Amino acid sequence: MSTHRAVPQIWKSAGLLVPGFLLFGVASASAQRIEKHFKVEASPVVTIHNPNGAITVKAWTKSEVLVIATLGSGHVDLEAEQNGNRVDVMTRQITDSVAPDDLRADYQINVPQDSELQIHNDSGAVSVANVLGNMDVETIAADVDLQDAAGYLTIATVGGSFQCMRCAGHIEVNSISGSFRLMDTRSKHVRAQTSTGNILFSGEFLPNGEYRLKNYSGVIELRFLPGDSFDVSATSLKGKVNNQAKLTPPNHSYQSTSKYGQALVGSFNTAGHAHVDLTSFDGTINIVKRD
Amino acid sequence: MAAIDCKQFLNQLDAWMEGQRTADAKAHARNCNVCRSMADDLGSITAAARSLAAEELEPPAHVWTSLRAQLEREGLIREQVSVGQITEPKTSAAGWRRWFGAIPRPALAGAYLAALVAVGVALSGPISKRVNDYRWIQGTQESTSPLSAQLNSVEQTTMASLPSSNPVVTAVLHKNMAIVDNYITLCEKSVHDEPENEVARDYLYEAYQQKADLLAQLNERGD
Repeated sequence: MSTHRAVPQIWKSAGLLVPGFLLFGVASASAQRIEKHFKVEASPVVTIHNPNGAITVKAWTKSEVLVIATLGSGHVDLEAEQNGNRVDVMTRQITDSVAPDDLRADYQINVPQDSELQIHNDSGAVSVANVLGNMDVETIAADVDLQDAAGYLTIATVGGSFQCMRCAGHIEVNSISGSFRLMDTRSKHVRAQTSTGNILFSGEFLPNGEYRLKNYSGVIELRFLPGDSFDVSATSLKGKVNNQAKLTPPNHSYQSTSKYGQALVGSFNTAGHAHVDLTSFDGTINIVKRD
Repeated sequence: MAAIDCKQFLNQLDAWMEGQRTADAKAHARNCNVCRSMADDLGSITAAARSLAAEELEPPAHVWTSLRAQLEREGLIREQVSVGQITEPKTSAAGWRRWFGAIPRPALAGAYLAALVAVGVALSGPISKRVNDYRWIQGTQESTSPLSAQLNSVEQTTMASLPSSNPVVTAVLHKNMAIVDNYITLCEKSVHDEPENEVARDYLYEAYQQKADLLAQLNERGD
């Protein structure tokens, strides 16, 4: 004889409610989306401090800064405030002893095109597109990707890589182990220094431009077109210098090559107006024709 | 007024930098972009060095003591020492620690920079003169050893107290500090092997600067 006991209706209802409560609890611990709008005037300053996450900044035509934050957990909160024409955005840790994934906050930020950006992001990624104001980006491990940027661009990473596509203005980038790719740049001043990373430069050599690429080890690759014009000095103390550019000797005697390591000095296409300085301690320097 | 060429301008460069500029040299600088740019660059470096010396903190006493000892060995300065009285460079470790502890952390980078400027001056000294390799090596070691020891001490303290909230970041910082330390070791060896190699000395100087910058950054994170 079966001994099923009828389940009281109240327990049936509770059985339905408990999973609902559990789901609600899970939802409150998962991603939280916050959106904030700030009206600004021309050339606002936008600062972002974030320990971990992806920061994506895009330009738009509105006189407004839009901040959309996706917080990885309830252990962090968004602090965003405006002081005049300055908007400060920060990820604030609410509780102690938080797991790294719970510190994550991702940002999508829309800014006027002439905004000045100051971004500090320890890990994750930083991506900026079409912003023409000055930029100061500092990361530890986060990679930095700039597209169609201009202004005075200062980037410092410890181990993060740097890529700059179609950037103009003044570019200074420093890293210890990060690698750099500067593609289709239209900058008159490029200074890139890394210790163990590689550096690739494939851009325009503007008249009176200065292009200094330096590393300790790794590869420095400079790509040129047949119509480019520049003076070049390339030195690798312990490594090699490989050159595909047909150079004419320098006009000035003090532009002689170093007696240490492999070096070359010369002009590409008559007296170049741009100056290119490539230095490596024991890495390889390649001066190659662009395809 | 006879025109001079670039080589002749170069021969007058020392006088130019001291303000003694002949009409010929001025005319050449007006017409030659390269020579003019070079003279301008040298002038900027000189001005920057003066301004750094004026603004930054004095480097630790050890650096000047080491420099003085080197200059005495080269016979450039002499000090009357009475019989039985021997002057040794003071190396008070306690003095170093008191000085270091009194400096606010954000000023550490500035203090290191001042010391690096002094080291850079010592390393870039008599480039154009024929010098004895042994003297260069001794001078380099005595100039850089105190700074290197202090940086290593700060590194140990700083790395041990790094916040561990993000293991990815901590791992990257440890890895890159090791890279910089290795970089310094290799540069020191290179300078030892080729003491007159200016490029190697520049790399050594920059390696110390990179370590100081990284330590200053780590100190800020620890606050």
